[in-house]
Amino acid sequence: MPTEGELRELDPLSGGAKEYVEFGLTYILLPELRLPNGCSPAAVDALLCLSQRDGYPTRLFFAQPIASKNGLNWNAQNVAILQRTWFAYSWNYVASGRPIEVLAQHLKALR
Amino acid sequence: MNVHFKLTVALLDGIVADLRRPHPFAAERAGFIGCKLTKCSTGTLVLAHTYISLPDDWYVDDERFGCVFNSQAMRAAMQFALTNDASIFHVHLHDHSGLPWFSRPDIRESAQYIPDFWNVKPMLPHGTLVLSADAAAGLCWYPEIKKPIRISRITAVGFPMRFLGGNR
Amino acid sequence: MKDVHVRQSFLGEHSDELLASVRIGVVGLGGGGSHIAQQSAYLGIGRFAFFDPDFTDFPNLNRTVGATLADANAKTPKVAVAERVVKSVNPNAEVWAIQTEWQKDFDSLRACDVVFGCLDGFSQRAQLEESCRRAMTPLIDIGMDVHKGDPYSISGQVVVSMPGLPCFRCVGFVRAKDLDEEGRRYGVAGGNPQVVWSNGVLASTAIGVFVQMLAPWCSIRNGSRFIGYDGDAFTLEHDARLTVVSQVRCEHFSSITDLGDPFWKA
Repeated sequence: MPTEGELRELDPLSGGAKEYVEFGLTYILLPELRLPNGCSPAAVDALLCLSQRDGYPTRLFFAQPIASKNGLNWNAQNVAILQRTWFAYSWNYVASGRPIEVLAQHLKALR
Repeated sequence: MNVHFKLTVALLDGIVADLRRPHPFAAERAGFIGCKLTKCSTGTLVLAHTYISLPDDWYVDDERFGCVFNSQAMRAAMQFALTNDASIFHVHLHDHSGLPWFSRPDIRESAQYIPDFWNVKPMLPHGTLVLSADAAAGLCWYPEIKKPIRISRITAVGFPMRFLGGNR
Repeated sequence: MKDVHVRQSFLGEHSDELLASVRIGVVGLGGGGSHIAQQSAYLGIGRFAFFDPDFTDFPNLNRTVGATLADANAKTPKVAVAERVVKSVNPNAEVWAIQTEWQKDFDSLRACDVVFGCLDGFSQRAQLEESCRRAMTPLIDIGMDVHKGDPYSISGQVVVSMPGLPCFRCVGFVRAKDLDEEGRRYGVAGGNPQVVWSNGVLASTAIGVFVQMLAPWCSIRNGSRFIGYDGDAFTLEHDARLTVVSQVRCEHFSSITDLGDPFWKA
């Protein structure tokens, strides 16, 4: 469970980060997350899953697939979480921990 | 606006069992149900989760009415709403068969205290249910809409399903 | 429509009216779902929401009930086939033919009284169960597998997820390791073997379970929520796992935060 301080560390990248727990899994909603240069769109709602699911220790979901410099395998499509649909590329072995660090590891795929 | 109230059969049976318990002086018992909400293509779903039973000493002995509860009862319901970001539905029982409806005092009193829940959860609808032995009816107060809306459907989900009232 | 359902009047005095008023969702209109759509039309269900983005095609014509050669040639959407089947039996039926992934139309799913899940894969099943639990909607899931080997083997199941009762995870139908394995697979899994007759057995059983849920004709047996199908021996049996967990309180969907819309706005 992230602390309030850990959530506020995310504010420079996404104003209003908020924690949700769904069916025992912990998510952080990141409204309008600012993405690395070269991504389209430049900002998008994202959902950081800090719990193990679907074979990934953590995962970063987006409200839509992102076009980036790197070819990524978007192997999670239209995933229903918190009654919204999400998309994620395959980027594995990012251990859970401090949210800002977990997020940074996942965003490496887009750089 | 269509409002569909859903609860599990287990919760319904628990509520009815509680409301059927005799009270030292109140002619009727009452309780509160904490609910969550979601929209669907036909309107709003009110999804019952927790029943708040009122202990005997939360009732007020008032001969004018079958059931009067005190401020502790309201505080407990409000606290639940605040803690859980929940809608609150008052519930009581008319123990006969067939479709129940609210008495005039029920409606008059509900119109007074149900909107009080907006003091803690102003953006959520709150309401009241009346159960019978085999049916139910309800009213729902939406924020910024003065008059309550009649709950269109009430369903107890389980084996078997029980469609308790309203248009299916 | 007079006397159409007179032979099923043993389901109760008002069963016709009840079935006509219920809205069912069928998620996936392939081998299992197309049978469900057909049988529920004959049963007298009056309101349907069909969800499937896919089209009739030659490789699925062997099991898509109601589809024709012309549909395969024209690539008729599966939901359109299902709608046509329903309306051929009951022209007054209300049908919402939703030609998209079910995750793109939560509002229509939530409006259903009961949902039939006819999807492939545990991840899809888990997501559908989660969405149905959020809306407190009973879910009847069907699925069959042809296990490759020497010899081949056919099996399947009908599993019910009823709010307040043990869920797919409780009964071991959806397991973390299956979800993990699916999650790690890259790209589309490919076409698994599928045949019409096993789908028919499972769909018919699911419809029977559904009718028991609404208009029981006998006392409801506890096991009628997890039924295993041995497609080689042609037997249906209550799965023993349900007996073990039937008195267990489901901890997977017990929190109030697992109900309703987490982003509710009036």
